[in-house]
Amino acid sequence: MSNILQELESEISALKTSVTKSNVGIVREIGDGVAKVEGLSDVMLNEMVEFPGGLYGLALNLEETEVGCILLGDGLHVKEGDEVRSTGRLLSVPVGKGLLGRVVNSLGQSIDGKGDVESSETYPVEKIAPGIIPRQSVGVPVQTGILAIDAMIPIGRGQRELIIGDRSTGKTTVAIDTIISQAHQNRAAEEGKLKDHKPLYCIYVAVGQKQANIARTVATLEEAGAMDYTIVVNASASDSATNQYLAPYAGCAMGEWFMDNGMDALIVYDDLSKHAVAYRQVSLVLRRPSGREAYPGDVFYLHSRLLERSARLSDDNGDGSLTALPVIETQAGDVSAYIPTNVISITDGQIYLETDLFYQGIRPAISVGLSVSRVGSAAQTKAIKKVAGRTKLDLAQFRELQAFAQFGSDLDEKTKKQIDRGKRIVELFKQNQYSPIPVEVEVCLLWAMQNGYFDDVPVEKIRDCQAKMEEFLTTRKDSLLGKIRDEKAISDEINEEIKQAIEDFKSSYKA
Amino acid sequence: MKSSKESTRIARQLFKASVNEAGIDESVVRIIMGKLKNEKPRGYLQVLEKYFDLLRLEVERNRAVIESAVELDEPTRDRVVSDLRKKYGDRIEPEFTTDGSLLGGMRIRVGSDVWDGSVRNRIERLSEKFN
Repeated sequence: MSNILQELESEISALKTSVTKSNVGIVREIGDGVAKVEGLSDVMLNEMVEFPGGLYGLALNLEETEVGCILLGDGLHVKEGDEVRSTGRLLSVPVGKGLLGRVVNSLGQSIDGKGDVESSETYPVEKIAPGIIPRQSVGVPVQTGILAIDAMIPIGRGQRELIIGDRSTGKTTVAIDTIISQAHQNRAAEEGKLKDHKPLYCIYVAVGQKQANIARTVATLEEAGAMDYTIVVNASASDSATNQYLAPYAGCAMGEWFMDNGMDALIVYDDLSKHAVAYRQVSLVLRRPSGREAYPGDVFYLHSRLLERSARLSDDNGDGSLTALPVIETQAGDVSAYIPTNVISITDGQIYLETDLFYQGIRPAISVGLSVSRVGSAAQTKAIKKVAGRTKLDLAQFRELQAFAQFGSDLDEKTKKQIDRGKRIVELFKQNQYSPIPVEVEVCLLWAMQNGYFDDVPVEKIRDCQAKMEEFLTTRKDSLLGKIRDEKAISDEINEEIKQAIEDFKSSYKA
Repeated sequence: MKSSKESTRIARQLFKASVNEAGIDESVVRIIMGKLKNEKPRGYLQVLEKYFDLLRLEVERNRAVIESAVELDEPTRDRVVSDLRKKYGDRIEPEFTTDGSLLGGMRIRVGSDVWDGSVRNRIERLSEKFN
């Protein structure tokens, strides 16, 4: 009791002679989530301002006689003539490991009904990206668990890889599979089954999506045990344009905390097309000049400053990283539209998902020809690099020759062999959703394909053969998988063991 | 139709002509108002509205609203006005009001700046610290 009395006494004596100075304005116009405030002469760009009733806003438009503020909440009680006060602070969100497993809104407030988030630190939502010197090259892989991606379009920690495609082509599924794969690896590392693995924490930012979809995604992550390593930042379609505009930056701030503290994080922005639309709405209501397709002139900067904050820091700066998987939805496969081309030019590669492939049953519907990873094999382990080296080339040759497939009897042996191999690779790369494959199993599958062990299996039986091979390897060859997992390379000894294992399997497999 | 950008530009020019070092020149304002009313150029209503806004803001910028819990005596008023004029210049026009909800002390507003030394403000800040 005496402590609280002493505290109270010191607070009162501190307040006795002080006069506070603040900068205020008067609301002149309010509507559509934007307030025009007269006054606020000392306010700065992006500064938080306080409305009556504890509502906060952000000063975005600094004009000659008034300030345009976007409201961070419901502005129904705000009316003309209300006094607005500047706070001298930037918008910040809570960060830290206490947010893992939680679903929060754009301001970092809990919306999952599990109580307040535990956090002792806050990070500003808008922050300048790391410069050149604090960075280092991307070299550690993100094992997505999706065979096609890990083999041909590898992603590294600190890279920005765009996932682009039409609606319902599996973009979110690719991202969720990646998150689930990280959870499996993190758990295996905690149990001692995976050596030298740095955990990768995940942040899923949902912008403008249906609440039902987000609920389903969270349920999928919970079922897979991935929520323990994931933060979900939700700005659904029913949230204001302001919240949808801020959500990716809030998520990025949460990811930056991991990066700045020497840890690795992965952030999925799903999706940036809706983010651009929300920013367009905010800009138009603020009466900013509009440009192409009514987007404001700085829509490129909107995404570039967000994605530049994803990086891999040097060892001197903690060796942390933030990997970004932005998602963009195209219309009718048009990748040359405004927003898609903007984001393609910013990112370090793209995974292009095609509707045609999807409906042909090739899922994930990754178009190998149009997909690229600018980091390339620097983001692959030696093991994967050895077995996946020719795969992209084989598939490219297969695509070239596919047109001739109808003339089956008129082709030479070599061409027929290439077409057969291509068909089998396409079958091998089909994968069920929410079923990431561990990297050691991927190595064995790709080794078997590269060395022709699938050539005698009918194309329609490839998936069955693959499933049985996976089961055989995980149940009977766990020690081999453990060696591949630990060494991450195929030594001569391991090569022999893989050969033996595959031959053992093939001897008992009946197509 | 004259655009609002054009009206704003004209209003700004008229406002610049109406203000000198000593403040708003009322005679110039009357001349401008008279000309606009008589000649009624295209878009004159928009120009007038914007011109009025700029003048109003200039007056607000130089208006000091001094709120106190009780009526201030003459010496106190003089001292407050003198201090304000030292800080903001001689163009300051004081306006004294009373507001019992302040409980004690004074709250002075000059343009966008608010100097709050009221008891109510201190209690609110104390409450914020403990929350």
